[in-house]
Amino acid sequence: MDLSIMIPELLSALPLTLAITFTAMIAGFLLALVTTTFRVRRIPVVSQFADFYVSYARSVPVVLQLFVAFYGLPLVVALLDVEDFVSPNVAAMVGLSLYHGGYLSEVLRPAYLAVERGQHDAADSLGYSFLQKLVRVVGPQAVHIALPGYGNAIIYLIHNVALVMYIGAADVMATAHLVMERDYNQYQFETYLVLAVIYSLLCLVAWSIVRFFEKRNARFAPNTARAKATVMPSV
Amino acid sequence: MLELKNIKLSYGSTQVLNGVDLSVKRGDVVSIIGPSGTGKTTLLKCINSLARPSSGTIAFDDVRMDYQKLDRTAIQAIRLRTAMVFQQFNVFKNMTVLQNVMDPLVVVQRKSKEEARRIALEELDRVGLSNKIDSYPSQLSGGQLQRTGIARALAVKPDVMLFDEPTSSLDPELVGEVLKVIRDVTSSGITSLLVTHEMQFARNISNRIVFMDRGVVAADGSPAEIFEASSNPRLTQFLTTEHSIQ
Ligand SMILES: Nc1ncnc2c1ncn2[C@@H]1O[C@H](COP(=O)(O)OP(=O)(O)O)[C@@H](O)[C@H]1O
Ligand SMILES: [Mg+2]
Repeated sequence: MDLSIMIPELLSALPLTLAITFTAMIAGFLLALVTTTFRVRRIPVVSQFADFYVSYARSVPVVLQLFVAFYGLPLVVALLDVEDFVSPNVAAMVGLSLYHGGYLSEVLRPAYLAVERGQHDAADSLGYSFLQKLVRVVGPQAVHIALPGYGNAIIYLIHNVALVMYIGAADVMATAHLVMERDYNQYQFETYLVLAVIYSLLCLVAWSIVRFFEKRNARFAPNTARAKATVMPSV
Repeated sequence: MLELKNIKLSYGSTQVLNGVDLSVKRGDVVSIIGPSGTGKTTLLKCINSLARPSSGTIAFDDVRMDYQKLDRTAIQAIRLRTAMVFQQFNVFKNMTVLQNVMDPLVVVQRKSKEEARRIALEELDRVGLSNKIDSYPSQLSGGQLQRTGIARALAVKPDVMLFDEPTSSLDPELVGEVLKVIRDVTSSGITSLLVTHEMQFARNISNRIVFMDRGVVAADGSPAEIFEASSNPRLTQFLTTEHSIQ
């Protein structure tokens, strides 16, 4: 087996894996923002719907969510009476965006609720609108509180992208299987090992970025900073 | 300039405010005293609608509001003319001292950055924090946090300052520096409402003292009337207790 051939072959599918990841990251984040806003503001009906969506995203196995997106999306598209072909790639992006958005809302909501009541009071008393308060005061503090949880959410997302092959998207995982079969399944262990390295690197990059933001904001979060500084070495 | 009438508010089944009447004239410095849990904080919060009474009315100059109807325009108008200093400071934790004071001017009052900065520096100088403008709240003492809170409130140029036990969360050695700033503010002529347990201080800076007890105004008068000539047994008892604590 020649790694210098196998690795580029696997990497040729990396752009799709990354595209799905980034789409789900961005769309999921926006979805989580909206969902969380509905939930913390307790807007009737809308917030119940948001709660339902979050429990779907959190409790249904991700691979099942992908199938639901893959078979459900064409029905939605047909209803809208537009182009009726839904590619596995699009279904993967939609399915994982929904999954990630719901998961992330369960990270953002407690973080939002953890921001002290007094911060709301101060902003309200000074005449900030809900949106101004969110953008200037509560949001940044909630994001800071949410960062460790957000790091986990991103890592779970990256892991779950490996499931898109089940609905026929040609990501690195699916490509690895093609490569292995073509080679009469002689090099399965080696191929999986290379895959493991690729996923580890992806997660490492994501983790480093989150860490960077955690450090950058540490100065306005005395609690976390202090908690870290005073951790006793285990004996 | 400010008149509250028959304010009632309950949390669940506990009636906290039981028909409070209070009127404040321009230039008044009114100290509100009374036992813990009688609704002093809640009353201040009703003024800027951080708490919402179930009934009652407020008149703030030309703005009139019946608390039974949700009137966002009136709420915002009153919020823009009052500024609150909190017991727990409530300085924005994600901003430096300077940003804390500038932000409401830029975001709410839509002033230019330059002007907001100029005003903020002026107020921070007034409270003696010129050397801390780039510090984050996590790097400050309680006294410095509260002075930041006061500068932030002053910077919006309110018609009325609302102080809610501004020194109650401070270590004893830091109380003095904050009281000094408050004395300076109230003597500048700005209308102020001050909830406090600092009896001597209240007596010195106020032209009126309001004694709240069990959700109502139980006594209301000049410092001399309240501290020396009171015939209200609950007030006498309260003053004796406070005196023995101090
Ligand atoms: N958000 C709240 N929810 C429930 N009860 C509250 C709330 N805020 C205050 N209270 C209750 O209302 C009463 C009056 O509180 P407060 O106005 O803070 O009193 P004071 O400032 O005079 O000490 C207290 O019994 C307190 O426990
Ligand atoms: Mg209080």
